Amino acid sequence: MKHWWYVPLALVTLAVGVWVTNPPALRANGEDKHEIEEVGHAHVPAPLEYADLLMPPSVWTDQAMIARGKEIYAANCAVCHGEHGDGKGPAGQALPLKPSDFRDRHAVAEMRDNYWFWRASEGGTVEPFKSRGSAMPPWKGTLSVEDRWAVIAYQHTFSGHQGPHVPWEHPEMVQMGRDIYRMACVSCHGLDGQGDGSVGPTLSPNRAPQPRDFTAGLFKLRSTPTGELPTTADLFRTVTEGIRSRGGPLTLGLSGYRIMPSFRHMPEEQRLELVEYVKSLNQGFWTRQDVKTVPVPAPPPETPERIARGRQLYADAECWTCHGRSGRGDGPSAPTLKDQNDFPITATDLTEPSRFKNGATPQDVYRTVVTGLTGTPMPSYEDALEPDQAWDLVYYVLSLSSESHRASGVAR
Amino acid sequence: MLRRSLVLLALVTAGIGFAYVQSVEAVPAFARQYDLQCNVCHTRPPRLNSFGEQFHMMGFQIPSAARPGGLGESIKDKGLAQTILDTLAFRMEGGIFESTKSPHDTESKFVPPEEFTLFVTRPLLPDLSFFVELEAEPNAVVFEDGRFVTRAEVGLGKEAFFMANLGQVLGLIGAPTMQMGNQTMVGRHGGFTMHGPMLMAGKIDPSTNFSYPTNRQLIAATETEVKAGEVERFPVVPYAFTSKFFGLFKDRDEGEPQLVTDQVMYNTPGAPGVDFHAMLHNLVIDHPQIVQVGFLRENEGWNAYAAWRVDFGERDQSAFSVSALINWGFGVAWAPDPTDHDRPSDRRIDRLRYGVAANARWKGLDVYGALIRDQVFDLPSGLGGEFDRTATGLTLALDFLAHEQVMLSTRFDQLWAGGLTDQKEDGSVLSFQVKYFLWQNIAFFARDSVNVRSTVEHHPLREWRNQVLLGIDWDF
Repeated sequence: MKHWWYVPLALVTLAVGVWVTNPPALRANGEDKHEIEEVGHAHVPAPLEYADLLMPPSVWTDQAMIARGKEIYAANCAVCHGEHGDGKGPAGQALPLKPSDFRDRHAVAEMRDNYWFWRASEGGTVEPFKSRGSAMPPWKGTLSVEDRWAVIAYQHTFSGHQGPHVPWEHPEMVQMGRDIYRMACVSCHGLDGQGDGSVGPTLSPNRAPQPRDFTAGLFKLRSTPTGELPTTADLFRTVTEGIRSRGGPLTLGLSGYRIMPSFRHMPEEQRLELVEYVKSLNQGFWTRQDVKTVPVPAPPPETPERIARGRQLYADAECWTCHGRSGRGDGPSAPTLKDQNDFPITATDLTEPSRFKNGATPQDVYRTVVTGLTGTPMPSYEDALEPDQAWDLVYYVLSLSSESHRASGVAR
Repeated sequence: MLRRSLVLLALVTAGIGFAYVQSVEAVPAFARQYDLQCNVCHTRPPRLNSFGEQFHMMGFQIPSAARPGGLGESIKDKGLAQTILDTLAFRMEGGIFESTKSPHDTESKFVPPEEFTLFVTRPLLPDLSFFVELEAEPNAVVFEDGRFVTRAEVGLGKEAFFMANLGQVLGLIGAPTMQMGNQTMVGRHGGFTMHGPMLMAGKIDPSTNFSYPTNRQLIAATETEVKAGEVERFPVVPYAFTSKFFGLFKDRDEGEPQLVTDQVMYNTPGAPGVDFHAMLHNLVIDHPQIVQVGFLRENEGWNAYAAWRVDFGERDQSAFSVSALINWGFGVAWAPDPTDHDRPSDRRIDRLRYGVAANARWKGLDVYGALIRDQVFDLPSGLGGEFDRTATGLTLALDFLAHEQVMLSTRFDQLWAGGLTDQKEDGSVLSFQVKYFLWQNIAFFARDSVNVRSTVEHHPLREWRNQVLLGIDWDF
């Protein structure tokens, strides 16, 4: 301890370090400059509104669809992308951003179907393609969904790949997400996404929550009906917000109690890439159709009458048996609760919104009430409650905590 | 009677501590900065789990999710006062009651906690962070005026360094780079990638990336006993990383002896140095590897070292890692004078250190150990056969999370000592510990270390049979 000169030495080196580590911004996401500027092949994920618009895997090899796509391609796409899909159509040569070459097996393998569908639908009207000078027209107003699937299936044939264009055929399409997963998620969720990393057993030993097994298809935090897979937006929300928890000894003084970190500082496109990799661990995400969500209507005004009705519903629906009369998670059934793995699970303390796993805004609580939490004793009330009744219950639940607790729960 | 009174007083003190901590509102710095439970990064503090090791390796950042604006954005988000508060943490660690049994008597006494530490730490930028420990030691053993004395010390703690990711620098000289979670990574998706190299400079202990790291459950050393200017009893520490040789000196002018249990090079109380480490993916094998090279001051000499670690598993609730270390110490100690072993000669010795370590985790079990061998060179010719030039240390530890709040630990330390043959003795110590976590950041522990060899009178390594320590570890 006598060497105080370490301090100035460290500070001087620190200053040098700041200078050294702050050079000009570099290229993002490993894209090759040539690919971005000249070919237009950019590894950007499809935005959330397109993320669940997946082609049925059978379409890729459906000869009738491919034939239909060939006709559409010849009429609309070949002029730029070329008759043979090489990106050398007569109208494409003068364009600032060159049309994609569908014969490039490597580039095609990296394109997810939702990305492809997004590009076909929006063309060059969206970023980052718009600012790069893409002249591709949006086809969503001209071609039906099935027509767009058909033309994409035909374009896919140029690459020479015979099978369906899915992650288990082309791991390249989720490669970036896999790299992020290996850095950030593997120690809890395990190398194969089965929730069996080394951290889980000491994080919450022999009790819930355990790290999610992505391969099993049971997801708690969803906007979809009970038992169904979540939407991409649901997974994105969980990655962004992390997960709070209650149960077991806590870190004294913390108010949020996250046991899964918030990855909100990860750039949005990388969070989307990560979610796409997580989806690739369960083929159900690629084979499902018509992703339905439970609608969350606009919240009505909070009134004393509504809270009073909610209190009655809370009693009638026997929410108190788990959550307790005062909402503290100490109902008579609370000590007996188990999750799908037969681990003891705590009933949520409704007086602490900052610890609600599924969010603490009125919309979040509404979503939890109507979808339930799959794999836990919390059922879905979608069929049992009318939307207006659900709002009554939501406002009663939120009334169990103080204004400051509600505010801090929402702020987190 | 006296002993019973002391035990009673210890329990009352612990009870008062229990009552007091319930009103404490402060928390460790990183937990507050990221709003995370301690268990996210620690199996139980202070032992890091795989995620915590990754967090540390990446410069105290959530992997792939560094705050883009760093400190400035934090101040904007949370305000200056909260940001400063979140940057600080306090730790009190060590014994409150100790009992030592020797061949002659049993000594029981209250001891103040060994260390009070203030941590000041946070990321400043996505690729730059700092970590500083300020420490108060009520019972520090220091050497002055030719004798060992015990006194209170305040100053810089074990570590005080900054960590910078040099990936961008490699990018500037032509390496392919990517932005991953606002940090720079070298390589390409699907191929070779490298996080880092991370530069860690200042007062450092580079062992965090080793399979046997500094942060472990049985971390508190037993007290170094000093009487009449001499060390009467050495502390029990992981023998694998001790200096291992009897008869060496730290410096020539003051003639300060290098205690055989002083931890040097790895698992140290920290030393000035520069460390580069990087995590590599998809290099020859499909398992993450950490490579590390660096330079570290030791006494009046310095070390050059390299370490390599491979991680396996993260399946079936298990993980496994192996590490190898090689180090050359240039002039790191003074050899004894061949004619008077109590004085340093005019020869500084070099030391070759090499060894392996491994760690296996499975559910609540955590087993880790290291076998480290040392060999010294450039001894005065006059020492001849009076000095054993090689020494080896073995440390094996096992932690078991028996209950959410109870951690059982045991450690075996074996020293095959080197050095002056008329002084050297081997040592074997078996330690047990029960740690009760009242909260995740507040624990009480009871520890017992047993000298499993015969006692040797007037020998600081062996003149004891049993040491009991009741202690506390509070992190705010």
